[in-house]
Order: sequence, then C-alpha cells, then structure tokens
Amino acid sequence: MNHSVRAVDRIAPRRQGNWDWRAAGNFVAGGAGGGVLACVAALSIGLGFDPRLLLAVGLAMMGFGLTCVWFEIGRPWRAMNVFRHVGSSWMTREAYVALFAMGTGLLAIGLGTRPLVAATGLLGLLFIYAQARILAANKGIPAWRHGRCLPVVLSTGLAEGAGLVACAGAWAAWWRYPAMLLVPLCAWRVIAWRRYLAALAADGAPVGTLTAFRRINSLFVWGGNLVPVVLAGVAVLADAPILAVLAGMLTVAAGWQMKYSLVCRAAFTQGFALPKQPVRGNSRTGPGVKPGWQWNRWLTD
Amino acid sequence: MAATTDTTFVPSFCYNCVSGPDFMKVKVENGVATEIGPNFDAEDIHPARGRVCVKAYGLVQKTYNPNRILTPMKRTNPRKGRNEDPGFVPISWDEALDMVAEKLNAVRAKSLVDEAGLPRLAVSLGHGGTPSNYMGTFPAFLAAWGDVDFSFGSGQGVKCVHSEHLYGEFWHRGFTVAADTPNCRYNIAVGANVDVTGGPCAVIRHADARVRGYKRVQVEPSLTATGACSSEWVPIRPKTDPAFLFALIHVLVREIGLEKLDIPFLRDRTASPYLVAPDGLYLRDPQSGKPLIWDEISGKALPHDAAGAHPAVAGSYRVAHAVVVDADGERREYQDVEGKTAYEKLSEHIAKYTPEWAAAICDVPAATIRRIANEYLEAAGIGETIEIDGQTLPLRPVAVTLGKSVNNGWGAYECCWARTVLAVLVGALENPGGLLGTTVRLNKSRDNRHLSVAPGEDGFMVQYFNPTSKEEWQSASSTRNLHQTLVPIVGHNGAWSQSLGPTQLAWMFQNERPSDWNMPMPTMPEVWLVYRSNPSISFWDTRHLAETVAKFPFMACFAYTLDETNYMADVLLPEATDLESTQLIRMGGTKYIEQFWDYKGAVLRTKAVEPQGEARDFTWIATELAKRTGLLRVYVDAINKGIAGVSPLKGRDYDYRLDPDSEPGTEEIWDAACRAASATLSEGRDDHGLAWFREHGFYAVPMSRLEWYLTPTMEKLGLRYELPYQERLLKAGRELGRRLHEKQMNWWDEQLSEYTALPEWHDVPLRWIRNLERAGAKAEDFPFWLLTSKSMQYHAGGNAAIAVMHEVAQNMRGHAGVIINAKTAASLGIAEGDRIEVRSHIGVTYGKAALAQGVRPDTLVIIGQFDHWATPFAKTLEAPSLNSIAPMSLDLTDATGSGADIVRVAVRRAGGAA
Amino acid sequence: MKRYAMVIDLRRCVGCQTCTAACKSANATPTGVQWRRVLDLESGEFPDVRRSFVPVACMHCANPPCEEVCPTTATKKRADGLVTIDYDICIGCANCIMACPYDARSIIHQPQYAYGDQPIASEAARMDSQHIGVATKCTFCKDRIDLAERTGQIPGRDPEVTPACVNSCISGAMHFGDILDSDSNVSRLLAENESFRMHEELGTAPAVHYILDRR
Repeated sequence: MNHSVRAVDRIAPRRQGNWDWRAAGNFVAGGAGGGVLACVAALSIGLGFDPRLLLAVGLAMMGFGLTCVWFEIGRPWRAMNVFRHVGSSWMTREAYVALFAMGTGLLAIGLGTRPLVAATGLLGLLFIYAQARILAANKGIPAWRHGRCLPVVLSTGLAEGAGLVACAGAWAAWWRYPAMLLVPLCAWRVIAWRRYLAALAADGAPVGTLTAFRRINSLFVWGGNLVPVVLAGVAVLADAPILAVLAGMLTVAAGWQMKYSLVCRAAFTQGFALPKQPVRGNSRTGPGVKPGWQWNRWLTD
Repeated sequence: MAATTDTTFVPSFCYNCVSGPDFMKVKVENGVATEIGPNFDAEDIHPARGRVCVKAYGLVQKTYNPNRILTPMKRTNPRKGRNEDPGFVPISWDEALDMVAEKLNAVRAKSLVDEAGLPRLAVSLGHGGTPSNYMGTFPAFLAAWGDVDFSFGSGQGVKCVHSEHLYGEFWHRGFTVAADTPNCRYNIAVGANVDVTGGPCAVIRHADARVRGYKRVQVEPSLTATGACSSEWVPIRPKTDPAFLFALIHVLVREIGLEKLDIPFLRDRTASPYLVAPDGLYLRDPQSGKPLIWDEISGKALPHDAAGAHPAVAGSYRVAHAVVVDADGERREYQDVEGKTAYEKLSEHIAKYTPEWAAAICDVPAATIRRIANEYLEAAGIGETIEIDGQTLPLRPVAVTLGKSVNNGWGAYECCWARTVLAVLVGALENPGGLLGTTVRLNKSRDNRHLSVAPGEDGFMVQYFNPTSKEEWQSASSTRNLHQTLVPIVGHNGAWSQSLGPTQLAWMFQNERPSDWNMPMPTMPEVWLVYRSNPSISFWDTRHLAETVAKFPFMACFAYTLDETNYMADVLLPEATDLESTQLIRMGGTKYIEQFWDYKGAVLRTKAVEPQGEARDFTWIATELAKRTGLLRVYVDAINKGIAGVSPLKGRDYDYRLDPDSEPGTEEIWDAACRAASATLSEGRDDHGLAWFREHGFYAVPMSRLEWYLTPTMEKLGLRYELPYQERLLKAGRELGRRLHEKQMNWWDEQLSEYTALPEWHDVPLRWIRNLERAGAKAEDFPFWLLTSKSMQYHAGGNAAIAVMHEVAQNMRGHAGVIINAKTAASLGIAEGDRIEVRSHIGVTYGKAALAQGVRPDTLVIIGQFDHWATPFAKTLEAPSLNSIAPMSLDLTDATGSGADIVRVAVRRAGGAA
Repeated sequence: MKRYAMVIDLRRCVGCQTCTAACKSANATPTGVQWRRVLDLESGEFPDVRRSFVPVACMHCANPPCEEVCPTTATKKRADGLVTIDYDICIGCANCIMACPYDARSIIHQPQYAYGDQPIASEAARMDSQHIGVATKCTFCKDRIDLAERTGQIPGRDPEVTPACVNSCISGAMHFGDILDSDSNVSRLLAENESFRMHEELGTAPAVHYILDRR
C-alpha cells in the first residue's frame, strides 16, 4: 500500500478528513431541525396553531442528523458511551439535549400542552447551541474555534428553522409570521457571517479556510440572505406567500451549503509554526514561520 | 492482548551504510522479529551511544517482506531485456548451486583469465564495502578463487567521494576524510552531507558540537538537512567549488600572509621548503638525489633531511649546483639556478585567485569568502595545544570537508588539493581538531592506517602507485576498468585498489571504445556474480546499462527481491538477511567518515530469527560453492588466515584453525572467529566463543585517541606530507602520457591535463555544457543543473522495497520528488506537487515538484535514486532519478576515473497537478 | 507527585525520522499512522533561508482540549501528566482529532498493512483489533512509565522506562523526565535554555518543550 503524503502537508494546515458528509449531515439536518423546533414552538405559542406536525418534522431532522453521525463513528455499537462526559463535552451535552428534546417533543406531540411545546422549542435552541459549542471547542480547527463562528452557527440554525416553517406554513393563515421572522434572522445571520469572515481575515486563518469561504461568500450573502430578506419583505407587503416559500428555501439551502463548507471544506487544521528558527552552533536564531496561514488578505484577494 | 510466551532481545548490528556498525537489539516474540531498538549495553563504548539510525528500523519489514525471493530460482526465458519476462521458476538449492558451480568449473577448466587478459569471473558488490558485513565467508571463497574482476561498479567512482579516496589516501592515508568533530571549532563543509550520511556517530558528534558552539559553514547549491543544521549556508553555483577554495587559500597566503600561518608545521611536516626549479621539478642534491631546501642558518641549499638545518618556507634562492629528475628518470643538471620554495610557488600560483575573481565564478560575494577565510584562520588558534593521554599535541580545530560531487569528477582534484592545503597552512592536517583521515583501503594494513606509513621517497611516506615506467606499465589491462593502466594513484595492492578504478569505463567500453583504442578488446565476463548491488538503478545512463547487463552470458545474483539488475539473471540465490544470519565483524578503531572511536573490538550479527523460506546463511552458500568448485581446502585456509571475521584463526597465543580437509559448519566457523577475535583483542586473556557473543553482542577494548591522529606518527618517522607541491603527480602524468602516446592512444589526453603540480582553475561546469553540445544538443535548451542528494532513510540501504522507509521519508521535503526553487517554479507555472518532466539530452525522468526557497534558482535536486521498474513496491513510487538521465561519457571522466552526479536539464510541467 | 515532560532540542535535530520509525516499531502502528513524526520547516527567501526539523506528537497538554471534548471519557489526563485513551470506551467519533491543534491523533477504520491487504508476520504477531475504529496517539510509552512506578527506575534516565523515541534519538535532541523535579534532566535543560511550546497561545499548556537557544 502506497500512502502518498507530501511533506508540505505535514506542516501546513490541511483539510480535516475525519468528519465527512455524515458529520456535516448532523450540523445541516440537526441544526435545521433544532431551528424548526425553536421557531415552531415560538410561533405556535404566540399564534395558537397546532405545532405537532412541524415538531415531528424538527425531531425527525434532528434524529436524521444523529443517525448520520452514528454511521460516521468508528465504534457504532458503543454509541451509548457518548453520554459519559456531560461535565465538559458538548457532544455529550448535544446528545442529552437531543434525548430530552425527543422526550418532550414526543410528549408534546402526544399531549399538545404548551409547556411541553415550549420546552421542546427551548431544547431545539439548545441543540443548535450545543452544536455551535462542539465546533467552538475544537481548537484544532481555527475556523471553528474562532469566537465569531458561534453566532453564525446559531443564527443559521434559527434562520433555517424559520425558513422551513415559512415553506411549510405557506398555505396556513399564519404564513406571514415565519416570513417576517426570516427578515431579522437572515439579517442577523449575514451580519454574523460578515463579522466572522472579517475577524478571520484580520486574526489570520489557514489559507484553505479563507479560500473555501471566499468561494461561497457572494452567493451566501446575496442569494442566501439579502435576496430572502427582500423576498420575505415583498411577500408580506404584497401578500404573496409563494415568495415566502422561495425566501425560506433560499435561506435553508444557503445555510446548508454554508454549514457543509464549514464542516467539510473550510475545516483546515492548525498546522505547525516556529516562533523562531533555532540556533545551529555559532549562529543566531532566525525568523519564525507559520506555513499555510494568511493574514489581512481577505478583502484584497 | 495476545499471550506472549517467549520474548527475547537479541543483540546485533546494523551496517547497511558505510557509517556502521551501529548497535541494536532485535525483539523476538514467539520466534517472530517484531521490533528494533538501541543496544544500551554499548552506550559507553559506541560514539553514538548504542543507537542505530532510521534504516535499521526497516529491518523487520525487510525480513517479512512478502516480495522476497524465498527459493532459488532459475530463468526460463533465454531472452534477456527489460521487456522480457525472465520467467523465473523455483528450483532446489542443489540445482541452483550446481548450475553456478558448473559455470565456475567451466571457467577453471579453461583459465581464470581470458584471451584478453581479463578475469572470466566478475563480481559486483554494493555500496562502500557494506556487503562484506553481510556476506559471511564469501570473501574467503573469492580469495580461494583467484583472479576476479570487480570492475563493474554499482556506483563507485560516480556515487562515492572518489577523488578524496585516492588523493586523501595519497596525502595523509585518508581514504575517507573527516573533521575531528569532537574537538572542531570551525568546519567549512563543501557539500559534505554528514548529518545525513555520517551515521549516528557523526550526527551526535555534530549535534554536540553545535550545542558547544562550533561553526559549520555549508557551501552547497541546495539547503540539505546538513546545511539546515549548519550555522551558515553559502549557496554556491554547482561545480565551482575549486574557485571558492582557491580564493580561501588566496586570502590566507596573499592577504594574511605566512607570519600568521603555522610556520613550524609547514616547515617540518610539509614539502613547503623544497626548492623548485624553473622547470617545475624539485631541485635535488646531485649526489643523493634528495630534494633540496634552503637552510637559513648556513645560507645554503641542503638535502631536505640535513641535520640541524632550518629550512626557509618562503622565498627564492640561488642554488650553485643541483639536478632535477623528470619523467622516466630523465636527469638534468643545473648550475646557479634559481630555486623557489614550494610554498613560494604556491603563493605565486594562488595570486590570481582573489575572492573577487572567485565571486564572479561561484556566485558567492567576495566579502563572504574573505570573512570565511579569516574566521577559519582565527578558529585555527595557531599555537594552541591539547593534552591527549599524557601527550601534548597542537590543537587546530578547523577543517574543510567535501561532499560527493564536489570530490568526484572534474574539479575534484582541485578541491581535494585545496582543502588539504588549507589544512596544512594552519597545521590542522592530522592534528587534534583538524582534518583527519579515518581509514585506508588502497594501502595495507587496512585496520591500522598508522601501519601503512613508512618512509618512502623524498622524505614522504611510501606510495604504491601503479607503475608508469616503460618497463612496468600495464599496457594490456588486467581489469575491465583499466585501473592499473590508467590510474597510477589508485595502486594495485590495496584491498580496494581494483574496485576504485574508473568503473564507468568498464560499462562504457563494453559497448563502444575510442577509435584509437589499441589494446585488447574488453570481453564480457563469462560469469557475473552480484550481491547487494543494483547498478541498473544506481549507476548512470541506467537504461543502457541494463541493456549491457542483459548481454552478459551468465549471471547469478544473490537476491532479496526481484530488481532491475537481477531481472537479467540466470540464477537467483536467496540469502538470509540481516536478522536471519550470523557474522562477526570488526568494530571501532578508526574507520570510515566519523567512525573514530575510543574502543575497538568485534561485534556479532547473529541469527535472531529463522530465515524465511529457503533463504540460506551466506556462509553456508560460500562453503557450498567452495565445495562444488573443488576449492574447499583453499577456502578453509583463507578463513584460517582471517579473511572472514576479525583476525587470523591462529595467533601467538591461540590456535582455533579449522580443518581444511573437512567441510566446516557455519556455526563452527563463527565460533572459531569469535574465539580468535577475543583472544587477539585481549592479547590472549579471553576466549569467547559464539555462545558468549550471542549473549553479549560485542567485545571491546579501549583505544587511545592518539590513534586518531597521523601527524605524531609522521613526526616520529621524520616524514613530510607531500603538500602543497605535486611533483610526483606531475611526473606520473607525464609518464602515463608518454606510455599511452607510444601506443598511439590519445583518448585519455584530456584526463592527463589534470596531472599538475599546482592545480589551475578551469571552467569545470563548462565541461557538462560541452558534453551535451558534442552530443548534438543545444546548451540553451537545458538551462538548469540537476543534482542529487542523499537521505538518511535510503542512503546505501538497499531498502527501496521497504514500505516503512517510504512512509517516514515522506516527512522530508523532496522525497520521491524534484526539489525546485519556488520562484523558478512560479516562473514556469509549476505548483507544489505538480508532476514535472526533467529532461536531459539523453533521457527524461518524472517526479512531483517540491517547492523550496533553499535551493538555487538555477538548480534542481532529486533525493536518492529511484525510477525503479522491477523492484516490487519501489516501482509503485513513481519517483524520479538523476541516474536515468545522466550520461556516461569519457568527456565527464576525470583523471582518477570518477565522475560527478550532475547533469544539465530542462524542466516543465508534465500534466495536471498531482 | 510527578509531571512528565519532553524537551526537544531543535539545535540538535537533523530530521532523520529515526524517532518516527522507532515509534512505529515500538508501538506497532499501522502503515500510514504516525504517532510522531519530524516536520521539515523552512523560512525566509533565497538566499536567506533557514530550515529546521521539529519532532511532533501528542503534546500531553496540561489543559488537553481532546480530553475536554471527548464525549466518552476515553481520553483522560493522568496526574503524572500523561494524556491517555481507553480503547475500550472510545467510540471513534473523532471529536478529539478536531480538538487537537497538534494533528496528533489518528483513526483508522480498517487494518492497514505495509504490503497489500494481508499482514506480514511481524504485523500479524502484534495485530491489535482494539486499535481499529478508535482514536490513537502517542502514549509517552505509557507501559514503560507504569513500569517505572513498579521498579523505581527513572523515566528519561533508565532506557527500559523511557519512551522509545527518546531512546532512539541519534542526535541527543530528545529528553524525557519529571518536570517537577528540579534536578531532572528536563528541568535543567529548561532552566539553562530558551524554549517554547507549540501553539502556546491556545492555552493548552503542552508538556513538550522545544529548545531554540541557550539562555
């Protein structure tokens, strides 16, 4: 077996290869599912519609995401060990949140009581937060550990949830409300995204991370956020629910593409660095090196 | 966890490169070798503290590699060639040995030497003598055989430090030359890649020296691992090293001046005071014929050894009456002649080689050259002393070391001369801290270079040049590399004299010869035996070389796996490898590169695990061959003389000789060798057999560091180093020229130009450009230099088939690729990892681009030598090789018969990114 | 109370990969899995270029991010400083791999052999299915450290209880010992020399120190 590796890949950040579409699936589907739960809970409590079908959709998405992960892990039959480290592991906490969300969600579907719906919505929100914290705790991936990544993950989960609810509720009487909800959520998401990228560029990041984000940036900003905001606004003002559906779909699609990029494409490792070159006999230390990193070049490239 | 019932740690050695032996232990679990580790029992006696380098960690995979040849095989396809499947089929050992013996007996039935005067049996062994540490008693078989041609090199001359071997041994018994690193303060390393090739002993010594604060200046076109570990990198233009070194001499001699140099050393230990006549020959005393010096006390010219004389080192003097002796003993008389001291001649000679002159040639700033020369002199600390074992010696902690391709091929004589002159100018030659030879191979005794020093002519140590006189010159060569005919300095009575001849001539002249050849036509060897050698990969112009090999009538190879050379074999013989066989070898003393120890002794490589398949211990194979060729008695006698092992089996206090009338067993042989070694080393006190060595691994006795330095021996014998002036070489060249011309042969004339008393700069790089132009190519089409460099993972390891070596080597940049300057690459549209085509005027090789800043923009570097097409695993690497595209050419062969690893190339992207 | 650390003298390292290979030999890591390796790092532009070799592996951090994220508690931090993995608990989720800024951990999902799809004898002899589908990494040769507890030998001084890489190092670059013992080789080296730790700004507090120069 000839495992070909380039020396340069040993020193510079390289794209992580351990979490593939299956892990991304959890962030994509699970995050959106959490968003659905949160949005449905909030809207149904406020507007008084029956949330059960949408709760089921949210839970199913969450379950689908976790199933994806189950297919990814090396020892699936030991999956229950995931519950062992609630003290510090956000992956454990995510699992508990999912467990509780399933519990309250199923009860809410069965009993339909508001506190249970509210609890499920809150757990959906918590699920997205847990996912964001999973990424944030990964110090090995500079793109994830950056403090401004968390609002992006959080906002997109909620925006996707609102988007899905906007699609699903297009023919319901309350269709305007998720559409209206889309506007601040997409705005929040795009602001979080731009602030995230600006900070990455300023603080320095692996070249590959910036390249991957650069590739999706325009489409995400315009097609995934600004256009949906306009569409949702027009939909409400012009009484055109189909535009709300379109806005929702764009919001969801953009969020999913962005999260897939975040997990699979832009997730470059830290790489290595030398603060100084060591002395070699009668010589002085030399300039340091941090291969594969880029600073302050986002806007100029 | 599996239950481990039986775990042992077997002491052994690794000698896969010339820088061995190093100590190791093999972990054996339930009869399977599983791990390699250091042998800390040897921590205090081994300079490398019982450690082995990375290569040894591949030996477990080497043992169990599924691609091994595990039974004797014979060829079934009579056609040979790269495109002919050999159709090897397994046969029994009896059949295989009978096949080989039949051919050998047919040779003996005729005569050992054929009608052209060349041995009918040729043997090729791999890198730098390393095979002898694995081939058991095979040397005794070869000794029993008689005439053998070792001409078909696997790389000697083109891959070794050939000129250093020859000139180093000539000047100071330094077949290999090293800095006295444990004491060194300043090392100018011109291409010397010691942190890669010097083995663990060199690595730890240089690391210690770095921490101690020594300075090493690496002068080399690319920033190798050794360059990386140096204090300063000077990226010199390829093959312009002589100019750089000449300029250093210029600064010392012309700018700083004699007063600051080591005058006593120059006066007493060198030929600097010898007076040279205007015709370039030594002025000699008319009566005794001894070279004259100018005695400052009496104001007269006196023989060099005149008692009480105080020779002048510099200056010109009028000599009333003297003679000179030219080539072929032609004597001329002079009256009232001006004699300049050899130092004076040097000073005049070097005047034109200023740093400014060199800067233009070398692409190194003059200020840098000047600074380095001054730092060198300052670090030499002339006047300082050191006490070693109660003896006070000069301490001159500076050395100029040379690397492959600097000290072989054109320009290498100049480099070897210049660096040795740089040593004598400051008294650093063979003195503590300075420049040391560490072994002899062209003289006897090979185990103690001090014993090779005896008074010879003209106040110098004795030399055994191949004769160039009319009566004795060998006009019909006795070997296919013409070592006695063409290379006086290589001699003929050292252990390696023959195999250090111009080996590429042996390959080239099999196919084409100069039009004015006028000697018997070289024949093919009737039988060719090959061990641990793959010239179809490791030599040059390898595609054509493989075609030559395919023509040889009978070839038997000791085979580990199929490879590019044994692909043409008739019989494959699988020998037991490192961990499967037994052999006792010498260790320590002073030997090879940085192998100068505080101990000497013997170390055993013992069978740690049973051989895989039908592989057999080499000693068993040798004994069987001796038996089947009727040479058993002579073979056993050779063993008794100590040809295999460490010492003769009979000594003053012991007698462990084997009965020559009966076939000895392998264990019996090594038991006797162990006993003889321990008896010799202990001067009769100890008698340790094989069982003792198996348990303890080695036997060592302390050795004085005084043995590291030759100068005290020279002083004791009142001898001078034959420097800086080279009258002997000048005359040898003149005589050789006359002999060749008398036979109407002019094809070696270019090489004869190298025989000069004081080497001149000539445009060395231009030779490669002219070579391709002569071949009909245009120089501008090949704008880059391609060089090679070694890696520790592969250097001399014969381990291209070992998966783990490839795995770990990939951590180093350039492995299996082509190193190219990042800016150059950008200008050619080449990105990291792109597959690129490197083309010379004779061929093309492909590899992935490895971009670096640490390489000259006009230079590419390929690490190691790959481009395999038959060796399992290695052939999947798609790794390039300079050897595939470097021509073998008389144009590129220097007077010693060596060539350098360099070729002009073009480079471009070969397709999509990798 | 002990706290083990490794001190690597970058002035000495020649990038030979002996430690890389010795680790593979001692720990029987599958082909393609390197618990440690030596990096080849260049800085500057021609002709002012510097190049160094930096051995890296698990840094056995005092604040190991891998331990924090591990959902199963398979990864633990021991009192003596070693970061360990319990292969019987690990689910192979790879979260620790993402958390480690030192690229120190590996997971393989099928056995990987040197030659093709069958193990050679030495691989078969040491085949350990425990290592498949779970995170693995440098253990500081934990078994040797544990042996020292029983024998009273001193890791870093006595080869039997010293990590294989340190034992193998031919340049004398690698040192191991108890950093809480001010007389240990590692404490002395750190006191005498200027050193750094990799990515210290991330707050991981690695137990591997790199010497750059004397103080």
